Amino acid sequence: MSQLRIIRIHNELLGTYGDQGNAEVLAFRAKHLGVDSTIIDISYDQLIPRDGDIYLLGGAENAAQLLSLEAMKRDNTLKDAISDGAVLLAVCAGFQIIGNTFWANDKKVDGLRLLDIETNAGQTERCVGDVVAHSSVFNLDLIGFENHAGRTVLGTSTEPFATVSSGYGNGDGKTDGAVQGNVIGTYMHGPILARTPALADLLIARATAQ
Amino acid sequence: MRLRISLLISRLAGFLSQKILRRSGETIQGKVLLTLYPNALATLSKNRSIVLVSGTNGKTSTTRGLAQLISQLGTTVTNKTGSNLDRGSATMLMQPSQYAVLEVDELYLPRLIAQTHPRAVLLLNLSRDQLHRMHEVQKVADRWRTAVAAAPDTTFIGDTDDPFVAYALSAAKMSIRVSFGGRTHSDGAVCPSCGIYLRWTNTNFACACGLTNGKADENRAPGPAAYRNAELANITGAALGAKPMTFDIKSFERAVEKTISGIPSSIRLVKNPASWSEALATVKGQNIILILNAREVDGIDTSWLWDVSFDALRGKKIIVCGERAHDIHYRLHVAGIENTQERSVASAFAHFAPTDHVEVLAAYTAFTQLVTP
Repeated sequence: MSQLRIIRIHNELLGTYGDQGNAEVLAFRAKHLGVDSTIIDISYDQLIPRDGDIYLLGGAENAAQLLSLEAMKRDNTLKDAISDGAVLLAVCAGFQIIGNTFWANDKKVDGLRLLDIETNAGQTERCVGDVVAHSSVFNLDLIGFENHAGRTVLGTSTEPFATVSSGYGNGDGKTDGAVQGNVIGTYMHGPILARTPALADLLIARATAQ
Repeated sequence: MRLRISLLISRLAGFLSQKILRRSGETIQGKVLLTLYPNALATLSKNRSIVLVSGTNGKTSTTRGLAQLISQLGTTVTNKTGSNLDRGSATMLMQPSQYAVLEVDELYLPRLIAQTHPRAVLLLNLSRDQLHRMHEVQKVADRWRTAVAAAPDTTFIGDTDDPFVAYALSAAKMSIRVSFGGRTHSDGAVCPSCGIYLRWTNTNFACACGLTNGKADENRAPGPAAYRNAELANITGAALGAKPMTFDIKSFERAVEKTISGIPSSIRLVKNPASWSEALATVKGQNIILILNAREVDGIDTSWLWDVSFDALRGKKIIVCGERAHDIHYRLHVAGIENTQERSVASAFAHFAPTDHVEVLAAYTAFTQLVTP
């Protein structure tokens, strides 16, 4: 690989909860690891490039989440890039978008189906606060901050990203996020890679192993 | 009769809080009053002209300026200390006056509008802040809009360059739409009114649904937030008949000059991406202390640090401290801005000499601690 291409998708829409920092931490860790990298911002009007190594989605409010989904449905680029081995880290609203279905503005919406998950509208209290978790997939202790209404249920093709020891995670207080191959979803802000830079290193290792 | 007894007990509670706990006693009085007499805000607002000020940033200094303007017209009470929930307002209204100028928290604004029937409401701005409590900016804007629509006898004044304010104002029967131009909005990619992608042409927006910052009632030149808030205070004052004043813009910056540990310092309140960006644009010197806390009123999540560009600090002598010093230390470190992390505020100041001048940017709780005598 000549240069690690970090694709930050729809930052103007998916940038409400600070997750854009994930791109900066990836580039910073890559430099530390001796990997040349570049951050490419893709806005709502632009097509998502096929040749990315790590794709990033962040948290957003409902209307912005729907706009981002609509833009990503213009083609199959993200799906194709993932089948070629690219890594996708999706946080909060971004995590919900890449599932089978989710709820936004009182409507059930078809997602991108990159992760076998379903997110239901939260009937009770919103899940807000610090999260402490452990990811056995990555063998890492994690901390983050969650702020979401939806509750996510995992399908048979996915495994949890982490087990939660403090916080709501997917809503049951037991697990957070989901992993399916190189697709990783989580509710943890922080941004998650700033809180646990070791996860950034592991994502870089996966992306450069292609 | 019941109100009179409730007032007596509330004053007693305030007195005891001052004498025994040595607190200001401001919040407790209103809290007790609202418990004993839930309708107190409405009752105490009768026969009084009420003006409310709300927004993410600039509430306290703008309220102070506006109270100065309004006090030309008659006796005026105002909440000076930033106690801006319903209880703080109740405490202020316990004193008799012809006018009341009240700073109101964004989430409490609808309740205050419904209960106090204000003559005028000034809406400064809305952007992401304390999301653990506000959750979503759009939801706050929706609540504002509903409250505005339900108050046809109130004049709403607001800065329509902020799409969320423009959206709330568009429901008003009486409004003064002010535009300064010259800036965009960091949360302004989606139309708050119809949810489509909001198209900006330079610093103007005009959505297909009709939401726009064009066709303002009052146009002013672009400028920093402190200047804009002073202008908005004057426009609001004028709506009630007050003569405009020439303000020292510094007084609208929420900056305090003070010598701390022998070091001459200017201390500025910063609490969210918008206020950090405003403050960083005014940094002049080489000596910087950044204090980050994450208690309830600061916002318990620090993720938003990554929404702020700290480039203005590059190359300066920067000491970071506070309960979440590590978060800001790492954020700057990743941006390639070298800085030193200290355990306490005192040890941060120890990096400087009495001949230096230090610019301190402090989170709400740290700011309050530093500037309180």
